[in-house]
Amino acid sequence: MADSVLSAHGLGKTFQVGKRHVVALADIDLSLRRGECLAVVGESGSGKSTLANLILGVHTPTTGEIHLDNAALPAERQLTHRKRIQLVQQNPLSALNPKRSVRASLRLALDIHGIGTPQSRHDRVNSLLSDVGLDPALADRRPAALSGGQRQRVAIARALAPQADVIVLDEPTSALDVLVQARVLALLNTLRAQHTLSYLFITHDLAVVRNVADRVAVFENGRLVELQTTSDLFSCPKADCTQRLLAAVPVVSPSELALRDALSKRNDHDEP
Amino acid sequence: MSAPTLAIDNLDLSFKGLLSRTQVLHGVTLTVEPGERVALVGESGSGKSVLARLVLGLLQDQRGVEVSGRIDFAGTELDQLSRTARRALRGRDMSMIFQDPTSSLNPMFTIGNQFHEVLQRRKPNLGSDQAHDTARSWLDRVAIPDTDRVLASYPFQLSGGMNQRVMIAMALANNPSLLLADEPGTALDVTVQAQTLELMRKLAEDVGTAVLFISHNLGVVREFADRVYVIHRGHIVESGQTADVFGNPGHPYTRALLAAIPRITGEGIPDLPEQIDLSHPPVHHNTGSADHG
Repeated sequence: MADSVLSAHGLGKTFQVGKRHVVALADIDLSLRRGECLAVVGESGSGKSTLANLILGVHTPTTGEIHLDNAALPAERQLTHRKRIQLVQQNPLSALNPKRSVRASLRLALDIHGIGTPQSRHDRVNSLLSDVGLDPALADRRPAALSGGQRQRVAIARALAPQADVIVLDEPTSALDVLVQARVLALLNTLRAQHTLSYLFITHDLAVVRNVADRVAVFENGRLVELQTTSDLFSCPKADCTQRLLAAVPVVSPSELALRDALSKRNDHDEP
Repeated sequence: MSAPTLAIDNLDLSFKGLLSRTQVLHGVTLTVEPGERVALVGESGSGKSVLARLVLGLLQDQRGVEVSGRIDFAGTELDQLSRTARRALRGRDMSMIFQDPTSSLNPMFTIGNQFHEVLQRRKPNLGSDQAHDTARSWLDRVAIPDTDRVLASYPFQLSGGMNQRVMIAMALANNPSLLLADEPGTALDVTVQAQTLELMRKLAEDVGTAVLFISHNLGVVREFADRVYVIHRGHIVESGQTADVFGNPGHPYTRALLAAIPRITGEGIPDLPEQIDLSHPPVHHNTGSADHG
């Protein structure tokens, strides 16, 4: 596909646990389009995190390949590859070094990837912070002196620092309060448009998916069981697993309740 | 009608530091009737978790903690009880599910061992075979497969979600009259979370266990609770029957919390006001059951 920035071809991963072989991921063909937000959903153990780890190069695939701009990524990633694919984790408190100030954490990312001149990096840190809606005055604080939302903004700024084009978001808002979650999601949306980023958005919250993702990939037991555009998935979910996830979404308004009921009723009729 | 399972009246809590004093709870008044499911909803730092710790009596004896007001459990004022009597209540008549299961379970003992200990709080002479059978049936009820293996495992050998379900099973196993649940679903999958809440709801009905459900997410609460209290910075800002609070939220803070939840109908990411009018007086919907003579 011409517009795909990252793609998986026959991707699989088997872990050896003692004498057993555990298939964590099998036969995944998937492509992330440039500028797209692709949601990856599934229950625990469905292979979401394994997929993220393979894409990030934390694990090497057992089978298949990952292509970046239509060129296969080697098993040993080079700095130039790592620079382009960045990660935002669920819990920023454990993702950020507690002994480093915000400035030092962002500076380190710039130094490692050689972004700008050493002199310009000071200014670059400030502009990264304002990109994520943080006051540059916070730059000398350590993570412990920030709120949960501020910490997650720092983690996002660090992912932006190397001028990545693919960001793996691993449950980026599930540790946040709802008010903070709404603001961080809005920020992620703005940044995606501003910097032409592509997101691989891993989550189990389908309500978040509905409002941020262009397409949704549903995983179950290490397999890709459904891939649809978001609006199709929410009008006509196909896989059992998707229907189960949809039925479990907490809803607050009567119109949501009606939609959720309609989706599950429709599926009751479909079943033989 | 019998006394409420939990009645909190005008509770203040402050932490005294070296130079400063921080007030965390401001005159919190709240009741939970027998078998009722009540949710306490607020953001991090609102004081909802310390409230649960006060009910358990885990905070009062700590240095720098100042408490005033009154907490009654099934008609008995908790401050009047001896330490031993309070201790006997915990794990038997009132139990708690904490947010983080891995730090609540003892890493040195197997799940089966810890389960046995919990069951012995109700029946001190319970043998290990009986305990094993009881534990197995409870693990079944929280959808844990392969129960024998789990009972022989240490907490670190299980996933976080699995540990959380073990905690829930342990908390319910003694049929307590009050269950304090502090964000029990946070570490769980949505599907398992839904099952867990369903289980808690069923238990509350079966044995008349009252539940005080503490959460930051109004969405999770809607299908679970009979009544809702919304807490912000130690003040109850809104309370009422779940349908009233959701159908007609009166306080700007409650409205913001509701607006912030992404909808599956796809209205986009909500545009929240930067400032929420917090000077608004608290809104108490006429609740009926909560008004006690």
